[in-house]
Parts: sequence; structure tokens; C-alpha cells
Amino acid sequence: MSHPTEPALHPDQEPVRYLHAHFEDDRRFPWGKLWGYVGSLALTFAAFGAVAQHLWPPTALMTLILGLAVAQAGLQLGVFMHLRESRGPSWQIAGLALALFIAVGLVGMSIWVMLFKSGVS
Amino acid sequence: MQAALSYLLHTLFPPTVLRPTELGADVLILATGVIIVTVLTRQKKWGWLWREWLTTVDHKKIGVMYLIAAIAMLFRGGVDALMMRTNLALPSVHFINAEEYNEVFTTHGTIMIFFMAMPLIFALFNAIIPLMIGARDVAFPRLNAVSFWLFAFGALLFNISFVVGGSPNAGWTAYPPLTELAFNPGPGEDYYFMSLFISGIGTTITGINFLVTILRMRAPGMTLWRMPLFAWTALCTSALILFAFPPLTVALGTSLLDRLFGASFYTLGHGGMPMMYVNLFWLFGHPEVYIVVLPAFGIFSEVVATYARKPLFGYSAMVLSVIAIMVLSYGTWVHHFFTMGAGPGVNVFFGLSTMLIAIPTGVKIFNWIFTMWGGRIRLTVAMLYQLAFIPTFVVGGATGVLLATVPVDYQLHNTYFLVAHFHNTLIGGTVFGLLSGLYYWWPKMFGYKLDERQGQWAFWLFFLGFWITFGPQYLLGLQGMTRRLWTYPFGFGWHELNFISTVGAYIMGAGFLVLVYNVLWSMQHGERDLTGDPWDGRTLEWSLPSPAPEYNFARIPVVTARDAWWAMKAEGRANQVKRVRPEEVAALELPRNTGMPFFLGLGFFIMGFGLVFRWWWIGIAGIVVVLASMLWFGFDYDDKKHVHPDVIRRTEAALGRLEA
Ligand code: HEM
Ligand SMILES: [Cu+2]
Repeated sequence: MSHPTEPALHPDQEPVRYLHAHFEDDRRFPWGKLWGYVGSLALTFAAFGAVAQHLWPPTALMTLILGLAVAQAGLQLGVFMHLRESRGPSWQIAGLALALFIAVGLVGMSIWVMLFKSGVS
Repeated sequence: MQAALSYLLHTLFPPTVLRPTELGADVLILATGVIIVTVLTRQKKWGWLWREWLTTVDHKKIGVMYLIAAIAMLFRGGVDALMMRTNLALPSVHFINAEEYNEVFTTHGTIMIFFMAMPLIFALFNAIIPLMIGARDVAFPRLNAVSFWLFAFGALLFNISFVVGGSPNAGWTAYPPLTELAFNPGPGEDYYFMSLFISGIGTTITGINFLVTILRMRAPGMTLWRMPLFAWTALCTSALILFAFPPLTVALGTSLLDRLFGASFYTLGHGGMPMMYVNLFWLFGHPEVYIVVLPAFGIFSEVVATYARKPLFGYSAMVLSVIAIMVLSYGTWVHHFFTMGAGPGVNVFFGLSTMLIAIPTGVKIFNWIFTMWGGRIRLTVAMLYQLAFIPTFVVGGATGVLLATVPVDYQLHNTYFLVAHFHNTLIGGTVFGLLSGLYYWWPKMFGYKLDERQGQWAFWLFFLGFWITFGPQYLLGLQGMTRRLWTYPFGFGWHELNFISTVGAYIMGAGFLVLVYNVLWSMQHGERDLTGDPWDGRTLEWSLPSPAPEYNFARIPVVTARDAWWAMKAEGRANQVKRVRPEEVAALELPRNTGMPFFLGLGFFIMGFGLVFRWWWIGIAGIVVVLASMLWFGFDYDDKKHVHPDVIRRTEAALGRLEA
């Protein structure tokens, strides 16, 4: 969507450069987002409840909340982060790859750092 | 009734906020408040304040508000620094007591990092980045205002802790178990966690905003490889913010859950893991130090090229080293807690990764020097800060590499050697950089230059004061003086160096006063900038009038080269770019002002205040205000205003830029 007042584009220019803040000019009620929000809350409280109730032994519990966390990350990416919209160059893919790399790297390295399992050592 | 009142008084004003310094601050705050309210009422300026400033979504005005807040916070943090240095001037000076010293260094560190350095950076981002890349605004103007108000109300919440309820006292890092409710009752640490939580949301949003702005809104022809270095560093800073602030938010949020709702994330006795807080904090903390220094690198790259009248030496090497620094800075955080003892493997890895960062940083230093090489240098104040920055930052970097050597760090960890090291990088890098940027871009922001002679005075006071303050601290560290020490006895032989250090701190204080005088004087008498290009600049913002009109560009320029404006001038197209023909002007859509961001911030403030004192109903009331503001935000479709071409033509004509 090119802005009416912009000069003519160079051949190598992407029109997306002039995107305005409204990514979706859709004024229907955002049911999808509402359900995404409710779903996120439900997943959070499920994890919290499982831990607070000591539902399972620690290792199983850990696996469960990790699974819930991954599910929630997927949900949020899909519903809120416009992952399913595509337009212009695939910035999302590069961004997502970078985010994954950093997130996995940070979590992995943190586990490595904290592996000596000490509060006080 | 009586009981309620006495409870209220006791909670809000416990003995710790009734000490002389706090009462002095009370008087100062009240006096300033009364003056501001009287002046605004007398001059009937409340409506103006609300319409023109508090509800604005114009990035240039938001930049000015960030600037004002940051200078005020620099004052507060500076006064804290002087209080500490006064206490340490001589052995056994008991100007403030141990408890108060804890509060003061905590406040100083937190304010300087979160409420001085960050907003000053955002001030320059807001004021300059859109102009520099040829955009009419940031990508999300309303969110930009939200960021500002979350920062402002977060800062306010943090600042009132000193006089209402009690200050945080566990350092700017706020490690458990020192911050656990059992060991640290009272509202101080809740203030810390709450206010950083609120302003941290704002910072994250700013990161997203500038990321999108720079990637998506550049003028036609400005490819990434033609983008000025300040824009590159803003891009990398924003990316760092995006990935660094979530760990902080998690650390703050879990600490709040521990304190407010009895969770035990960091309570050892209940299976919690205090060191995990430290890990999370520095996952954020190390990128944070690059968040505050990368923009300074960008500023210096603009300043040096302009005043040496040469293109930046090694542009691609500069860009690549910024990117390298950005990536590497994610992999070094453990150097802040080598002494946790995670084992030789972990420590060696992080020691080496830290030293690796010295390489791209060295590349940048050499490139700045080569840019100056053979250039016709103009020794303006901005350039003086650049020249001071290079040796100062090199010393800061070299001592950093020393500290990255694990066995050395075991000796020097948390001594004054460390204090001197990080002030060397924070003042020599961030503060000198931002001051340089302020002197450089001041005419673009306000339409007049800051007086050079006064600026030089302030510069020399800062520069010499800096070395007199922090030079001796390296030696004190080597002599075993530990950080966060409130006083020391006579026999240790520390008093001479400490005294010199305190003298230096007062010299820097004088430098701050000269700086403020410089600004106030120049407001009245400073040389007006009528050309829009007072320094013979190289980048697009200098093609605009100073200050730029609300819509920035009447016509978006087309970029054909790096140093776009310089190239336009060299090709003799300057006037063509600056002047528009009436028929070229078209109607524009600009974001409409809104009070929503202000109320959103206010809601968060009320919520934070309620939670700090465990007054749940006030907390809930704040949350209701937050939700209401967000609903308002979500359903306010009328968020744009149309500017008629005639308005733009008239503005441009008044600026002498309309072809007849
Ligand atoms: C006017 C110049 C300044 C002086 C004289 C000064 C002085 C001090 C002093 C005396 C301490 C406490 C040392 C201790 O007791 O352990 C300190 C700590 C600190 N300063 Fe500064 N400072 C100055 C500027 C800055 C600036 C500009 C920044 C950041 C941008 C900064 C960031 C910090 C931090 C993060 C701490 C650590 C606080 C803590 O231990 O939790 N300072 N400074
Ligand atoms: Cu670090």
C-alpha cells in the first residue's frame, strides 16, 4: 500500500516501506484474538495449578509445563504475531529463526551455567 | 478514624523517610511543585500543556520530553553520587548512615541506568532517527507515546520511594536473598521491582517501534547499506532491547510474585534458586550495557565524519562490527558472576567470549581515528567529547578485559576497581556520547546552537573531573577497598585517594551546573539556526529546517548515496531537495493526539502504588484504569488527522522553502 503523497517508487523499492501502523484495517470484532488471549490464560493457569498442586513428581511436572510453554508460544505466534500473514520479503522467517536461535541458545546456556545445581554451592 | 490515620501516616512516612536528607528533599519537591503549578496557573498554560505536550504523539516532542526527564534524573543521580562521595571523602565521616548509604547507591545506580541513560538515548532516537531515514514519523506513533508515559510513571514511582514509604536498598541488581520479604520488609524493594516492571514494558515497546521504523520506513533509495551509522546502531540497540528485556521482566515478575504472593522462586528454603535470579538479571544486564553504549558509538560515527569533513572510514567494517557486538553481547553474561563458581569450563568459555568483543570494538576505535586522519577537524564541543571518549573508553575496555580474566576477577570482583571500570565505560562511553550527540543535534531539535565557549567549560570540568574521580578508584580497588562500603576507618591508608576522588566528583558536579547554565543561556542568547544545516552535515536531517515541521518532510527525498545530504549538496541539488513547488504538495495523514497513553501510564502508576503498599483495592483500581485505557485504545478508530495541502504550503512558505 503506497502512500498517496510518496514519490514514484524506484524499481528496486518495496511498497511495504510506507506501511502505516494499521496492519489490518479489519473492523470486525477480533474474536480470534480474544480466544487466543483466553487460551493463553488457560494454559498459564494450567501450568500454575499443576505446580501448585504438586500434581506429578518433579520430572514429569517439568516436562508437562515445558510442553504447555511450547504450546503457548505457538499459540501466541500464530494468533498475535501475524505469523500467518505474509507480505513483502520474508522478514518474519529471518526474525523467527534469529529469535529461535537466541532463545534456544540462552535457555541452553543457562541450563549449562546453572547445572552445578547449587543455591549456595 | 484516628487509628486509620495513624496507620496511614506510619506506613507512608516511617522513620526512614524522616531523616534530614529526606526532609530536605521533601521541601525541594514541594517548592518545585508549587512553583510549577503557580506558573502554569498564572499563565493559563494548563490547556496548552495538555494539548501540546501531554497528549502529543509527535516523535520530536516525545523526544524533548524524554530529554527533560533524563536531565532531571541526571541531577537526582548526581546528587546521590555526591552524597556518597561526601561520605567517603575522609575516614569515618558519618554524613549519612549505613542504611541510608545502601539506599543512596541503589537509587543512584538504578536511576542512572534506567531513568537517565535509557531515556536520554530514546530522546535522541525520537528526535533524530525518523528525520535521518526520511520518515514522517515512527511506525507506531501512539505506542511511542505509550512507551514514554510508561517510562515517566515508572520513574515517578521509583522516585517517590525516597520520600514516601522508604527506598530500595539492595543495589541496582537487587539480588535475592537480600530482596526477599523475610530479610527486607517494607516497600523499598517492591518499589524497585514494580517501577522497573512498568518502565520495562515501555522500553520493550520502544525497541519494537524503532525496529519496525528503521526496517520499514526508510526513504526510497536508502538501502540498508546506505543507512547512516546512527540508524544502524539504533537498529541493533532495538534488537538488543527486544531480546534482553524479557529476561528482566521475568526476573522482576517472579521476584514480585515471591514478595507479594508468597511464591518461592528464589527462596532457598522452599526449593527456590536464588542464583537463577542472578542468571536472569545478567541475561538482561550484559546486553543492557551494550544497549546504552551502541547508540553512543553511532553518535560518534556521525559526529566524527561531520567535523572531520570526511566520509566515515571503513563504513562496512563499522556496520559489521556493530552487528558482531550485538550478537556477541548475548554470550558473555556470566562474567558478572564468575565468583558464583559454576566451574572452570563455564568460566573459561565466558571469559573468552568477553575478550572476543574487544575485537570489533577495537575495529571501531581504529576506524574513528582513521576518519579523523587527514581530515580538517573542527574542534567543536561535540568533537571534544569524541576526542575524550576514545582514550577514556579504551581504558574502560582494557580494564574490562582484565576483569574478564577469571583469576583476576576473583581478586577484583566487587572492589572499587570494578566501580572505576564500569564508570569508565558508562561515563566515557555512554555519557560522553550522549552529550556529544546533544551538542551536535541541539540546533536540529530546538533551532538554536548551544554556546560553544560555555560548552567547552562544561566539557573540561566533566573530563578532568571524571579522571580525578575514577582514576584513584582503580588504585583503591587494588588496595582492597570493596564496593558498596559506607565508611572506612583511618588505618587502611585509603583516605588520600578517596579524598582526591571526592574532589573530582564535585568538579563533575560543577560541570553539570555549567551545562545547565549553558542550556538556559543559549535558550535566550544562543545563535539561531536559520539554515537548518549549521555544521555542514552529511545526513538527511540536515536538509530540513530546524526544528523540523510537524510532518518533517513536505516531500520525501529520494536517496542515491550514503551520506545522502552530502551527496545532494555535492551534486548541487541541495536547493532542489529543500524547496518544493506548490503543486508537489499533497494532503497528508498524521497521527492524532490522544490522552490515552497518559491515562494508561497513570493506571499503571496507581496499580504499582497500591501493590507496593499491599492496598489491593487501589491496585485493582489501577488495573481497571489500565484496562479501560486499552479498550479506548483498541476502539478509537479515529486516530488520524488530515492535513490540507494549503497548511503545508503555508508552513513551507513561512520557512522560505516554497517555490514561487
Ligand atoms: C557524576 C559522576 C558519578 C559519580 C561521582 C558516581 C559515583 C558513584 C559511587 C560513589 C558509587 C557507589 C560505589 C559503591 O559504594 O559501591 C556508584 C555506583 C554506581 N554508579 Fe555511579 N557515579 C557517577 C555517574 C554514574 C553514571 C553516569 C552512571 C550510569 C550511566 C553510573 C552508574 C552507577 C552504577 C550502576 C553503580 C552501582 C550501584 C550499585 O552498586 O548497585 N554512575 N557511582
Ligand atoms: Cu557484562
